[in-house]
Amino acid sequence: MSRRYDSRTTIFSPEGRLYQIEYAMEAISHAGTVLGVLAKDGVVLAAEKKVTGKLLDLSGAKEGGYGGSGEKIFLLNSNVIGGVAGLTADANSLINYARSAAQQHLLQYNEDIPVELLAQRLCDMKQGYTQYGGLRPFGVSLLYAGYDQQHQFQLYHSDPSGNYSGWKATCIGANNGTAQSLLKQEYKDDIEVKAAISLVLKTMSKTMDSTTLGSEKLEFAVITLDPETNLPKAKIYKPDEIDELLQAEGLSKKEDDNAMKS
Amino acid sequence: MSIMEYNGGSVIAMVGKDCVAIASDLRLGNQALGISSNFQKIFPVTDRIYLGLPGLATDVTTLRETFRYRVNMYTIKEEREIEPETFAHLVSSTLYERRFGPYFIEPVMAGLSRSATGGFKPFIAATDLIGCLNFAKDFVVAGTASSKLYGVAEGLWEPNLEAEQLFETISQTMLNAVDRDAYSGWGVVVHVIEKDKVTTRTLKGRMD
Amino acid sequence: METSFALTGKGYVIVASDTTAARSIVKMKTDEDKIKVVSPHLLMSYSGEPGDTIQFAEYVERNLRLFHIRNNYSLRPSAAASWIRRSLAQSLRSRKPYSVNLMLGGYDVTIDSPHLYWIDYLGTMTEVPFGAHGYGSYFALSLLDRYVLSYISSKANTHFFLFTYRYHDPEATLQEGLATLKRCIDEVAKRLVVSPGKYKVKVVDKDGAREIEL
Repeated sequence: MSRRYDSRTTIFSPEGRLYQIEYAMEAISHAGTVLGVLAKDGVVLAAEKKVTGKLLDLSGAKEGGYGGSGEKIFLLNSNVIGGVAGLTADANSLINYARSAAQQHLLQYNEDIPVELLAQRLCDMKQGYTQYGGLRPFGVSLLYAGYDQQHQFQLYHSDPSGNYSGWKATCIGANNGTAQSLLKQEYKDDIEVKAAISLVLKTMSKTMDSTTLGSEKLEFAVITLDPETNLPKAKIYKPDEIDELLQAEGLSKKEDDNAMKS
Repeated sequence: MSIMEYNGGSVIAMVGKDCVAIASDLRLGNQALGISSNFQKIFPVTDRIYLGLPGLATDVTTLRETFRYRVNMYTIKEEREIEPETFAHLVSSTLYERRFGPYFIEPVMAGLSRSATGGFKPFIAATDLIGCLNFAKDFVVAGTASSKLYGVAEGLWEPNLEAEQLFETISQTMLNAVDRDAYSGWGVVVHVIEKDKVTTRTLKGRMD
Repeated sequence: METSFALTGKGYVIVASDTTAARSIVKMKTDEDKIKVVSPHLLMSYSGEPGDTIQFAEYVERNLRLFHIRNNYSLRPSAAASWIRRSLAQSLRSRKPYSVNLMLGGYDVTIDSPHLYWIDYLGTMTEVPFGAHGYGSYFALSLLDRYVLSYISSKANTHFFLFTYRYHDPEATLQEGLATLKRCIDEVAKRLVVSPGKYKVKVVDKDGAREIEL
């Protein structure tokens, strides 16, 4: 019976629901976790990678590109980092769109695109697929961590329906409920980046399926202000930098092994 | 009145030993009337490529924005920085797109290109306003003082100049050439590009 | 003949424009306001082809307003200037280009600083400490950066010494700025054959834009 309203994205069910949108959101809640925390002087983003294995070629992640392994965290513009949860192929196309939108804003106004405006541009596109016929919505939720002069540091979330909202700390993907309640307990309004990094990693370690954190399962990024130029500086960590960070935070695999031995 | 001389301005690029230099004046005018003494005509493209755009000032800004857009899109898609040779062809094809209604700009570019062995090789090039490329081994000039720049550069330039000597050579060339040109001058900016750094200096010039 | 001046000072920009609307050799109107407040902290003086000027000024004004309504904040002066410049540059290569020259003065509230842009109908744009359009510009610009070049010859070398006495001072108070503007207006009145009679003067600073009586 419900099949009648399932197959088309643009048709309401008798209860007034759009099933395809809800299914898209369901797909996202099985995807790897992406977690963001807004601090006073920056924004921190972390993501759980799903596609792993020792045969996976990660040579690209070690050298070229913007850093990261290119599965979950991307540089959308020099002032915005994006974290994606959901269908990777859909996400790639949205990221392309976001990057072009940001460059077009730069071309037109000679300034970096404001974070909310970028989120809006993507949401306009996502919303279109909930209304115009025949096509499937994007199975992707995004977190946008960024900086602009108007509103300083910001963190946004957008879902497949084209809704978006600003957050102090939020989480998308698998176990997002657990992570969000953890964040709610731990978050403080005047948190600084250093503490936010610890909070993000601690929350990640508790919500991820695997018992230990390591660069093969984790992507990590921070956006701060460069003290010299006063411009936003987005840093997506490379695998060895993530391991270094985990070591410093006392969350790495090796530490655990040592603890077991002693 | 030529459209190429409406706003005035000149650019020169020179090759040195493991380095390149590019310099321009800072004047923006409306024919003989000076409007601004701080109009930049040289823009960084990557950490190792600089692009000079002498000619009609509206097109200086338009092309600067266009090239920034195209290079950014290239960087995003390729996930690496553009090489000077590739960039030169991007400049050429962008200008040739407007073959029958051109941008009134004669670009000059200077950079260091990565060689097969991992080292860096000096690269300079210039094009005309419809994108005909001219790769040179010594120096390239463009703008309202180009004829004067040729003369001075021909006399001062020699091969294998070190960065500091190259800076002195290009500065003297520029300062003396623009003094003979009514449409260029009002200060000079010089960029010297080496493999690990770029040095930018602004020179005072005659204000008449 | 149409003339507009603008100059920056400590925390403000003054924009002044004559108030004549002429057709051929006849003055049709002497109280025309040719400075538009295009957004809360942005002033734009416009001159050029009658008709084009008002059309273009309103086009700019409404687009900036639309941006404000859509995004809940105004474009900063630098961003607005870039957008306006691009509009003119695109118009230049269209079938019927706008023939409008602008002085764009604004106060950037995000970084607390005044900005002034000189823009012509070709889409040429440059940020300046002071600027002018029209026949008055020949007198005003030279007055604002009058300098003395003294030429001293010593035994071996010839040195050029450059002394710059500027009437324009980027650190001047509003009173001083207005006095400087008055000098420009007086100079044009004195030397220009077809000098305009009256001027409208507007100022933009951290509190927004307002008109000032000279």
